[in-house]
Amino acid sequence: MTPLLEVQNLSKSYPVGRKGLFGKRMMQVLREVSLSVQPGEVLGLVGESGSGKSTIGKAVLRLIEADSGTVRFDGQDLSTISHADLRRLRKDMQIIFQDPYASLDPRKTIRAVLSEALDTHKLHMGTARADRLTELMTMVGLSPAFLDRRPHEFSGGQRQRIGIARALAVEPKFIVCDEAVSALDVSIQAQVLNLLADLRAMTGISLLFISHDLSVVRYISDRVMVLYLGKVMEVGPADQIHFAPRHPYTAALISAEPSLKHESNRIRLTGEIPSPLTPPSGCVFRSRCPYALPACAETVPPLRDMGEGRLKACIRDDIL
Amino acid sequence: MLAFLLRRVAAAIVMLLVVGTIIFSLLVIVPGDPAELLLSTGGGSATQEAIQNLRIEMGLDKPILAQYFSFLINTAQFEFGTSIVDGSSIADAIALRLPRTLEIIGVGAVLALIVAIPVGTLAGLRGGGRFDVIASGVNALLTSIPGFVVGTLFIYFFAQVLRVLPAGGYVAFSQDPAQHLQMLVLPATTVALHLATIIFRMTRASVLEMRGHDWVRTATAKGLRRSLVVRRHILRNALGPVITVVGLQLGILLGSTVLIEFVYNWPGLSGMLVTAVEQRDYPTVRAIILTVAAIFIGINLVIDILYSLLDPRIRLK
Amino acid sequence: MTAIPVPKKTRLLPAIPRRMILPSILLAALILIPFAAPLITGADPVQISVRDRLALPSWEHWLGQDEFGRDRLARVLYGGQVSLTVAFVATTLACIFGTLLGLIGAYFRGPFEFVTTRLSDVVLCFPPILLALLVVTLFGPGAGTLVAVLSVLYFPSFARIAFSEALRVSSLDFVEASRALGTPSHRIVLGTILPNIAGPVSVQYSLTAAAAITIESGLSFLGLGVVPPAPSWGQMIRGARQFMNQDPLGILIPCVALILTIYAINFFCDRLRDTLDPKGALGGGKDETSVPVAARVTPSDETADVVASIRGLRLQLMSPGGPVDVIQDVSLTLRANQCTALVGESGSGKSLSSLALMGLLPGAIHQAGGALRLRRKSGQMVDLGTLTAKELEDVRGNDVAMIFQEPMTSLNPIHKVGAQMVEAILSHRPMPYADARTRAIDLLELVGINEPARRFDGYPHEMSGGMRQRVMIAMALTCEPRLLIADEPTTALDVTIQAEIIELLQRLRTEYADGLSLLFISHNLGIVSEIADRVAVMYSGQVVEEGPVSQVLNSPHHPYTVALLESMPSSHEELHSARGDRLRAISGTPPLPDARPSGCAFRDRCPIAIPSCADAPPPLFNSADGDRQVRCFRAPEAGSEAAR
Repeated sequence: MTPLLEVQNLSKSYPVGRKGLFGKRMMQVLREVSLSVQPGEVLGLVGESGSGKSTIGKAVLRLIEADSGTVRFDGQDLSTISHADLRRLRKDMQIIFQDPYASLDPRKTIRAVLSEALDTHKLHMGTARADRLTELMTMVGLSPAFLDRRPHEFSGGQRQRIGIARALAVEPKFIVCDEAVSALDVSIQAQVLNLLADLRAMTGISLLFISHDLSVVRYISDRVMVLYLGKVMEVGPADQIHFAPRHPYTAALISAEPSLKHESNRIRLTGEIPSPLTPPSGCVFRSRCPYALPACAETVPPLRDMGEGRLKACIRDDIL
Repeated sequence: MLAFLLRRVAAAIVMLLVVGTIIFSLLVIVPGDPAELLLSTGGGSATQEAIQNLRIEMGLDKPILAQYFSFLINTAQFEFGTSIVDGSSIADAIALRLPRTLEIIGVGAVLALIVAIPVGTLAGLRGGGRFDVIASGVNALLTSIPGFVVGTLFIYFFAQVLRVLPAGGYVAFSQDPAQHLQMLVLPATTVALHLATIIFRMTRASVLEMRGHDWVRTATAKGLRRSLVVRRHILRNALGPVITVVGLQLGILLGSTVLIEFVYNWPGLSGMLVTAVEQRDYPTVRAIILTVAAIFIGINLVIDILYSLLDPRIRLK
Repeated sequence: MTAIPVPKKTRLLPAIPRRMILPSILLAALILIPFAAPLITGADPVQISVRDRLALPSWEHWLGQDEFGRDRLARVLYGGQVSLTVAFVATTLACIFGTLLGLIGAYFRGPFEFVTTRLSDVVLCFPPILLALLVVTLFGPGAGTLVAVLSVLYFPSFARIAFSEALRVSSLDFVEASRALGTPSHRIVLGTILPNIAGPVSVQYSLTAAAAITIESGLSFLGLGVVPPAPSWGQMIRGARQFMNQDPLGILIPCVALILTIYAINFFCDRLRDTLDPKGALGGGKDETSVPVAARVTPSDETADVVASIRGLRLQLMSPGGPVDVIQDVSLTLRANQCTALVGESGSGKSLSSLALMGLLPGAIHQAGGALRLRRKSGQMVDLGTLTAKELEDVRGNDVAMIFQEPMTSLNPIHKVGAQMVEAILSHRPMPYADARTRAIDLLELVGINEPARRFDGYPHEMSGGMRQRVMIAMALTCEPRLLIADEPTTALDVTIQAEIIELLQRLRTEYADGLSLLFISHNLGIVSEIADRVAVMYSGQVVEEGPVSQVLNSPHHPYTVALLESMPSSHEELHSARGDRLRAISGTPPLPDARPSGCAFRDRCPIAIPSCADAPPPLFNSADGDRQVRCFRAPEAGSEAAR
């Protein structure tokens, strides 16, 4: 099967502050990240702050320009595509944001928000429009009577549903969910997660599901990719990554997750996440890794294929 | 810190250069012959000979680039040339009059700060309360009175009706200190009034903003005395924006004092400027504006450095 | 804090707010009157009548005649026309050009950004009047020159405002969403960004119009603005100055006209700013904390290990529609050596309850009932409502300390970390500075900060979120409080850092601060099960279930507690969405405090509600052993209490 989205060696750095008189300090947020998403698949991206997970989400949609690397979507190379073609292609790839309050224009009615998407791509014009809007609202579990209201009349969970409806309006093949349920209270979060799961079962859409919450990612994703300081640490099927992690960072992340079951053999990390401005040499995780060896400082560990669709970037196989 | 300082100084120098270039190029982009234009006051045209003399005097006969560089070099050495009206040295005249202008601005600024910062702080702390409503109301009214109107009304009440202060004029401090101070009162108060309304507004807004920050709650939760919370965690933080505004306003004041000096007949830069504008004495006008812009840039440089001392985060940006 | 509900607006288009009516009428009147001049007076503003110079007001000349015998009323009105036209034409030009430049700079960035910001910087270097004078020197005075000068003068301020506002708006997700939808750039800039920056730009517009009138009249006053004999207010003042003695009316009339016009614009501008950004209107003039109220009855059930107790706390938000109960009935007993968790979703009132215990409630909220009691270090139990402001300062930080959710904003950015710790120590324990410093460094080391002496002299912005939260914890411990309140202390932190902080709190509780009572506020049941001994679950301003943490989380009795646990993906590790599993979520959202359903506040979302739940609010039912409480008619406790 050819992947719907294929990303190779994506790198990105941002200028932050200054260095000396004229120099600019660069912060590298992505270091040669490769990933692929199959049609109908949900890929979970997990990481803490500074891991670059949101940058990936925006770079694959070309909402920000990567420094190097290629992004192929549906067989087309996004980095060389013309602006007009890119705009047409946007119909097939959408995004849902974290903050339900910032993601809707306070001045537009829900009808205007949803119509913007349809107008841009000349979909359901004329009399078909009203039916499509009703259909979208029903799909995300909102009453079509709300169409002429403005965002401030809705709760956070309802706004997130509107954000989902906006993304679904153009019938995309692929949606980036950038921390889409993180800002929601747990009872509302469950509602939205169920909605996403239903939509996926119904439409066969692919998702890139970005979150810092491992159990949410495990529940919703087929495969999970774990990132740390802009590097891929481990990739594999969701349940396997969660219940049998092979990379020390994944293991630490999972055991740090607060849970109702108290586990005795926890891996506790010490120290702070290093600044992306001054990452450790070799393996970026070594400064906090309980299993680090002197050799870890010398070379960047390659992402090795461990079989069963699992990959990990760690030189040690004698642990975990 | 040193890199920050050097960057700021370099930026200020570049700014001075740009300002100089703009002022120079204004004369170049003016339609027609500048010499002819400047001499054509009141509709009548000057003789060819006079125009030719002025061209040579102002160096307008040389190529533009040569004019530009000699202008920059002269300006850097405070060599502003001579007035095209009476041939006197412009630099000397500025050196004589600038201190007088700075005097009323300085005294006015001190008065304004003394009054506006405490009142603004109190109004900000009691945002929405009776004191704030009254203070802000009075301030809104005072803000709406242009400086020259304040001056005119002051003269009417204090000099004409009450007859307690002189209507204007100037005596050097060395000649008669008492007289000098008497004559200083009204112009300085007029400057202060204008500046105080702006400082009040800024202080109030800044205090109002700062008092809502999380660290103020932290300070209160630590059990700090209220006065300490206000001083260290509200006022100290609020001063940064206030200083910036004061700096900007001092620069703007260098311009608006023209009107106030005119009203009170105070022989600062303004009299010189107004006369020069009326007589279209371009070199003089240009020199005064360059001086003021340079002071303005200098003040902003000082403010930048002060702000960075107040708030360590600025140095990183 | 999200506990303050926003009043609901239901209109489709916002009508003109009441506060804007008066300034709008005033402004419209002052602008229209000069242009209605021919309807008001038939006199010619330039008609000279030397015989009648400085004539007093009469039937033909309502405001008298000036030094040339011209009709003063006509001159004021026609002068207003000139001033207003010059000011508004110039401001409009500056606004259009500046806003456009700012928008382009902010949306396309790169070279556009450079040009926009630098151009503004350069023009702002010239004091406005001087720049005007420079141009007047070259082009000669006149209304046309004035308009040109003023628009050049003011476009940078519009460019600046538009630039920074557009930059702020374009970083918002809804603009990103439009880009992701493929909406063309011009539609995004004009259709999405422009409407969202219209507020600040219109405030700038009125400010600029007022400034333009000031400069126009100033230049005319110098005789360098509008060319005589065309009337203008500045010129009228200039002309009347010499005759101030004989004819004070001559200066007063144009002065009043000028002041009134500028005032009307400023007034309008102030109100507009307040309406667009209402945060300045909060507080009602009171200091920002509201004062605790003394209880009428003294509870007697306080054993020696009770460190603090909240009894029947009721908090009201003073809203325009009348007071709204944000906290209805909260009771908690906090004991020594115990960690009590307060759990609930946003808006449930958990933060407010804890702030009340610190005497730190926001000014808009007041205590309408109940008692807040605290054991002081002397061993005496005090009612917070009976303490003076001075005594409250003494209690805070000393007897009870607090850690907040946002470590990034909870420390003052302009003071060194050490200075902020030392001031906390010195405010309760007078000692030499050197001793306070040593103590602070010891505490920093205790909470696990490397190189504490170096960090002591560092600023908060040099630290990560986790380190700042450690500093906050160290600061809270400076005076060895008996009660530590931690309000979502790890919510803003990464998972691995969160685990470190929880571990630190656990260690401090057992090893360092003997007898410390910890009130831990969280929305995360996983953390609560790790750290807490007892848990109180809050929903819509009430405690709905309370008891030992193991019992409540393992066999919840309130349907809301059940729903919370069911909603967590982490408690259902066997479920997976791809296998068709769904989380057992409850429908609906928590009600706003002013729109709670009758009876039980949870009943409209409750899967086991019965009709009688709507009749009366359920009380807290006690379990047989008295160790658990549940606010539900259908809970086992309700049955056992009825049986007793």
